[in-house]
Amino acid sequence: MPVRAIDPALLRPAVRTMPWRAIGAAGALGLLLAAVPRLMGEEADARLALDALRASAVTFALGAAFVLDDPARHTTAAVPTRRAVRHGLRVLLVASVAAVWWTAALLLVPEAVRPPAVGITVEAATALTLALSGAAFAIHRGDGARPGRAVAAFLLTLAVLGPLLTPGSWALFVPPDDPRWAAAHGRWAVLLCAEVVVGAVCAAEPGRRLTPRGLRSPSGTSGPSRA
Amino acid sequence: MSTLTAGTPAATVTAGTRTSWAAVLTLARFETRLLLLRAPVLVAFAVYLGWTVWRTRTSWDGFPALQDADRATQGAPLLVGLAVLLCANQAVLRSRRYDTDRHLAVLVVQPWRRTAAHLLSVAAVALLTGVCVAGQFTWEALKPGAVGQGSPGELLVGPLCVLLFGAAGVLLARLVPSAFAAPLLIVLCLFFALLAPMASDEDSAARWLSPVVEESGPHPLPSELLGRPAAWHALYLAGLALSVALTAVLLSGAGRLRSLRAACAGAVLLTLVGAVAQSQGVPRETTEARTRYSVTPEKEQRCAERDATTYCAFPEWGARTDDWDRVLDGVRSLAGGAAQDRPLVVRQRVEARYGLAGDAAIDPATRPGEITVGTSWGGNRAPEFAVAVAGVLVAGTEAKAGGMCDGRMVTVMWLALADRPDPMADLRRVRLDDSDAGSAVVLSRTNPLSMTAAQTEVVRELLLRPKDGTAAKVRAHWAELTAPKVTTDRVARLLGLDEPEARDECL
Amino acid sequence: MTPTVSASGLSLRYGGTRALDDVSLRLSAGVTGLLGPNGAGKTTLLRVLATAVPADRGAFTVLGHDPGTSRGRQEVRRHLGYLPQTPGFHPDFTPFEFVDYVAILKELTDRAARHREVRRVLDEAGLDGVRGKRIRKLSGGMRQRVALAAALVGDPAFLVLDEPTVGLDPEQRMRFRELIARAGEGRTVLLSTHQTEDVAMLCHRVVVLAGGTVRFDGTPAELTARAAGRVWSSAERDPGAKAGWRTGLGTFRNVGDPPVGADLLEPTLEDGYLLTLDGLDGVDTEVAA
Repeated sequence: MPVRAIDPALLRPAVRTMPWRAIGAAGALGLLLAAVPRLMGEEADARLALDALRASAVTFALGAAFVLDDPARHTTAAVPTRRAVRHGLRVLLVASVAAVWWTAALLLVPEAVRPPAVGITVEAATALTLALSGAAFAIHRGDGARPGRAVAAFLLTLAVLGPLLTPGSWALFVPPDDPRWAAAHGRWAVLLCAEVVVGAVCAAEPGRRLTPRGLRSPSGTSGPSRA
Repeated sequence: MSTLTAGTPAATVTAGTRTSWAAVLTLARFETRLLLLRAPVLVAFAVYLGWTVWRTRTSWDGFPALQDADRATQGAPLLVGLAVLLCANQAVLRSRRYDTDRHLAVLVVQPWRRTAAHLLSVAAVALLTGVCVAGQFTWEALKPGAVGQGSPGELLVGPLCVLLFGAAGVLLARLVPSAFAAPLLIVLCLFFALLAPMASDEDSAARWLSPVVEESGPHPLPSELLGRPAAWHALYLAGLALSVALTAVLLSGAGRLRSLRAACAGAVLLTLVGAVAQSQGVPRETTEARTRYSVTPEKEQRCAERDATTYCAFPEWGARTDDWDRVLDGVRSLAGGAAQDRPLVVRQRVEARYGLAGDAAIDPATRPGEITVGTSWGGNRAPEFAVAVAGVLVAGTEAKAGGMCDGRMVTVMWLALADRPDPMADLRRVRLDDSDAGSAVVLSRTNPLSMTAAQTEVVRELLLRPKDGTAAKVRAHWAELTAPKVTTDRVARLLGLDEPEARDECL
Repeated sequence: MTPTVSASGLSLRYGGTRALDDVSLRLSAGVTGLLGPNGAGKTTLLRVLATAVPADRGAFTVLGHDPGTSRGRQEVRRHLGYLPQTPGFHPDFTPFEFVDYVAILKELTDRAARHREVRRVLDEAGLDGVRGKRIRKLSGGMRQRVALAAALVGDPAFLVLDEPTVGLDPEQRMRFRELIARAGEGRTVLLSTHQTEDVAMLCHRVVVLAGGTVRFDGTPAELTARAAGRVWSSAERDPGAKAGWRTGLGTFRNVGDPPVGADLLEPTLEDGYLLTLDGLDGVDTEVAA
């Protein structure tokens, strides 16, 4: 009965357990980066605005990587409220903050040089989802209480190497005037969907270990009498 | 990091000092191992090494000028630097993260010595980067086609950047003890690194404040003309890295140590000296030398005789004479008439007045029998040189060859390419659009030549035929083939081909 | 009597290490002690039984529910209290807020009833004096009590406690023992510990785990009886003893096979435990004097 599992009373402590310092610092820096084109005035061009928004999106995602950090994870490991609910609540909170924040970041960029909003938003959403699903994956695999640090390092590595190593035939980091803009954003959307799927799968608690042996002998689950 | 060790304060010199520093070194070894095994550092090194090896295999087509090769070692270590910034930062924060600070704070090795150990581990990674840089440069230097000389100042930039970034990571951990500060700083660094090249122009002194100042053009300049304050920049980076490192040590509880404070002040002074000295712009002597080399190259050159040819090269390029001679010999052996033993002068020329990144064209030589060769070689440069040689053999001077718009172009192109190992491939390589049909511009170090579609058709046909048969016909009809205004149709007939069907109009 | 927990053939591997190897157990009301050297698999077994990690093989039920299914796991968790080996907290919460948070996660939805329950467990854990203090300001022993209160909230039928008395001073440990003993009245408590006194004082049953398998399963008296006639005193360290240490009296207390005519001593639970571990590969039988 999942309905019973979600209690509005959970919202308040969940809000309090969020790493607001990390999100706040990342958000502030992100807005600062997004403001650079406006601050530069005449000198700013579309390329700079795009770079600023991309850097800004990565910055916020780095902060969001810490969202699933929960020092009390082990203490609350065996509660009936599902992990999907506990994680989902945090993701929902950060997503609503991200939506407001991103709107502000987009509006900070002067309209003349602003890249197409839909495309760049898909990129930003992919970065954010990568951070969140990465954290969910780290918890799913490693069961650590604070995956944020490692996820941020991973995200950063990807953000540095991505533009360097993406093959030309699967271009992702293209400027708006590039004819491949639409195709690249199709790819971004594919990545986004893949991350959402990974995140959703990792939100579920492992019922059985999916080791080869475990897969081979599901009969091992037949336990003693259920008296 | 010798300054760190030298900074042992007199106040703490006790019987235990030596043991204490031994502990720092042991700790540094331990931290180095951890640092090198962190995933971001491993990935950064893997990408750095992979990319460097992959690129160095074919860089400068095997003919590097070492005064350019040294600068090419600077960009990629930044990747390692960023990874070290992140991981060194996390390493310093490790004890706080696992709440062992309270425990470690009372150990014999004080916090500032632990910071020193972290800095030493960064220095070790910087040293490793230095080994990689040295390896890359040695590889370039050992290539048979290498000329010129590298500058230690330029080679030091890569490792010093790693040191600077790592020290910044340690300092940041002491300033802002939270795990998300370093990643955010890296994004900021990356963004402003992207932004910096846009904001700064050639003459701006401020651009030398950024760690790596890349300047590259298609044609290497003699070392004397570089005008880069490489040594001052290395001093500036070293001073900056030391200042950052010593500040980190001071902030971890060594603030009382007077000698360390003095060392920090010294490092800041070093940084300032480097920063001021590097921002003086290109020295006047260098500007004058650039003009001299560009306008009157013959005064700077040494010449060597090979048969009927004189090769005049800038001192650093003397070793290229044999490579040039081989190409020139190949072209000359196919020519007929007096061209076979006509005296030629191959003169190396460079346009240095517009700085390192300049890509200005060189005016064609007007003296009869003088051929221009650039400072780069290998790849497309060899067939381009062959075209220039053939042009002079056919038209008399480079200037005349440039304005050529008749059937002689067929002879020029055949002479240039017939002796090449893969003439058809070279035909495509010397043409601007990489085509082997239709009209096109043919590249050379001086003014380009142009081929009509008809000439292209004839040249292609000729190159597909055996060389010796055509060579005999060329020698037999040399005078007519090299006569101005000869038509392409006529040339085709003389060389035993049908008249071309394609259009014969100059571009 | 129907057992609260019945497990059979539980196995779990971490990489190449066999953390649990075919463990079968039946637990019923009262406190069961889980003894074993470091790395014996105690924490792993507790984590499996607390549904924090799934086992590779084998199955178990808690109050008739199979935690292998998603719904079964929810049902098990509604009756479960778990105190992990290294409990973590939100340092800015007060004990009341933290336990209240855990209570919400345990689906105690009625606000008034929940707050009553939170106050009850905080009282029970002896935290009524620091209810409004931030956790970051509490001592280690107090934090451990917060974790115990979080485990107790919701009156779970099955309580899994992983080394709850570690790091506590003797007085705190006494208090904890009282708490656990009270919790064991009518509940099933599984208590992992290194302290044989804990087991001797609290448990009606003891399970010795080593190398991921069960080496002993019986009453504390039965475990003690294993050492009957195998503990003796001598003036010098007896080279024939499996283990021996100098006592405060200056004589040596030896455990093993005694020489003829030895001065036999009354065995303790610890002696029985040591002799149970004796002869197992890779088990460290050294004892701190």
